[in-house]
Amino acid sequence: MATVHTSGSREPMVRIEGLRKSFGNLEVLRDINLDVMPGQVVTIIGASGSGKSTLLRCINLLETPDAGHVWFHGADLAADHVDVNRLREKIGMVFQGFNLFNNMNVLDNCTLAPVTLKKMKKDEAERVAMERLADVGLADFARANVANLSGGQKQRVAIARALCMQPDLMLFDEPTSALDPEIVGEVLEVMRRLAADGMTMVVVTHEMSFAKTVSDRVVFMDKGVIAEEGTPAEIFGAPKHARTREFLARYLED
Amino acid sequence: MGTKERGRLASFILDDHRYVLLGTSAVAGIGMLLSSQPRPTLSFLASAFTVELVMYYLLAAWLVVSAVALVFKLTHWKTYAASAPFAKPAVARSLRYASYVVWAMTLVLIVDRLVLGVASDWQVAVAAETRPLDDELQSILYILWNGRGTFAAGLATTIELAVFGTIIGFVLALLLVFCRIQTVDPADNDFVRFLKVVGCGFAKAYSTVVRGTPMMVQAFIIYSGIFALIRTTGMSTTEINAVWNPFWGGLVTISLNSTAYMMEVLRGGIESVDRGQAEAARSLGLSQWQAMSKVVFPQGIKFAIPGLSNELIINIKDSSVLSVIGTFDLMFASTTVAGIYYQNLQSNMIVAVVYLMLTLVASWLLGRFARHFDVTPEPFGSTSDQTILGEE
Repeated sequence: MATVHTSGSREPMVRIEGLRKSFGNLEVLRDINLDVMPGQVVTIIGASGSGKSTLLRCINLLETPDAGHVWFHGADLAADHVDVNRLREKIGMVFQGFNLFNNMNVLDNCTLAPVTLKKMKKDEAERVAMERLADVGLADFARANVANLSGGQKQRVAIARALCMQPDLMLFDEPTSALDPEIVGEVLEVMRRLAADGMTMVVVTHEMSFAKTVSDRVVFMDKGVIAEEGTPAEIFGAPKHARTREFLARYLED
Repeated sequence: MGTKERGRLASFILDDHRYVLLGTSAVAGIGMLLSSQPRPTLSFLASAFTVELVMYYLLAAWLVVSAVALVFKLTHWKTYAASAPFAKPAVARSLRYASYVVWAMTLVLIVDRLVLGVASDWQVAVAAETRPLDDELQSILYILWNGRGTFAAGLATTIELAVFGTIIGFVLALLLVFCRIQTVDPADNDFVRFLKVVGCGFAKAYSTVVRGTPMMVQAFIIYSGIFALIRTTGMSTTEINAVWNPFWGGLVTISLNSTAYMMEVLRGGIESVDRGQAEAARSLGLSQWQAMSKVVFPQGIKFAIPGLSNELIINIKDSSVLSVIGTFDLMFASTTVAGIYYQNLQSNMIVAVVYLMLTLVASWLLGRFARHFDVTPEPFGSTSDQTILGEE
């Protein structure tokens, strides 16, 4: 599938080519091709089981692709013996289940990776972490036990933790799906601001209004393939594919 | 009074309630039964016959009052609470205070008959030239006193084997579980991949073999195997015994055995940590080792503490099989002493009590230790509780 780049001659930050992934006999991804340009916000929508999360997890190699390539800044992540740890430092990820480290407080969650990997001094890492926590409105919770936070607070800490590594790319795997409806907004607000600051983001979500208003491109996945992609106006305004229309109709009913 | 939340026993002792008559009657009955037993030589009530007589009749009086109350209850089943004199608050309170007296008297009788009874038998047993044959307790105490050096040596060895075996096993289990949980990572070079596959395979095979064979058999193989190995150097048996004896054989056996079980406990703890924890660490760029050591392992070991401390209890008990290779532990001491007096049953009763005290003390200590980590210890377990093949 040829992708028309609106951003001109710049190199894509992420280029996915011919990506395939199966779990046993179940083919989850079938020949995925996708480019993400620097500064772009790409949302991936689609029904459960369509392969959205697996695609996202292939970008930072939490899932190992069976075939195809994932280039990040021109380096092929799927190649054998590539130092994936170094590349992951530049790719932040936010999970549906928050996955905050239960054996540490909020601040230590944020400083673990910078201190361990960037050999940053502890107080320097803490200063940076406090800034990121302030960005998400949780500076007062720096010494809190993660178990005592609400879901929305946990997810905002998770975002701050990823940002402490100063990533070039942020991956969001259904970041609001585990949250109560009334606190979804606080997480989306943080993501909105991040997008406005020019962060490159790939977001798997069921929040259609977020996809519509924040993303530069929307990708609709169906049964392991990208069924349709385009600008929010194209996908939400005039979907070409019957499956896209069907899927969106179900969501717009709500 | 009585409105506060109390445990059932505390409430029985401290509150006014309808079981005070019935419950204390049982206590009074025990006191009267003890009072009708012959007095041991050390009995202090022997010189205070009148006091005991008064106590006996007071206990009997309590039973009479209770019987009256019972008859009243049976005849006034529906209206007892309203009509019975026993149910009036002032009477109920006096009955409770009286019940304290009954318990105190029974306690005095317990001390006089049972505690001083054992003490009297102990005096006889210690002074006896030969084993008293007509009194079972005196005979056991005689064996305990005269075999005390042997028992003490065995006890010391049993404690050493259990404590050091568990500690060595734990350290080795840490190393082995590290090998066991390795998975090949795309970032690894061929050498690291080879090491990981070999390490994991070794840990699996080790665990399966050690947990799939009896420790008694392992003890024989390790003891005589290493003995034979040293023999090939041409050393004489006496020379070998100086460096390789049943104690070291037993310690090696119990350590290697614990290693396998503790590795499985650790693995279980590590695997019960949510997979998302490791994924989050890896997504930040931490290596497999960093994610394991900083995030997963600290959480996993907390889950594993109850199982790990259980291993000490198991080792206290299971070290007894090492006596078959001649390790001088508590079991060996028991067999030795039993051989002297031809009293297998009595000698083993003694070590049964010692083993029980050891495990009780150990589990109490471990419980305090576990509370530090905010985890609850498991009840006593056995190595046979665990499946042999660790695959889920």
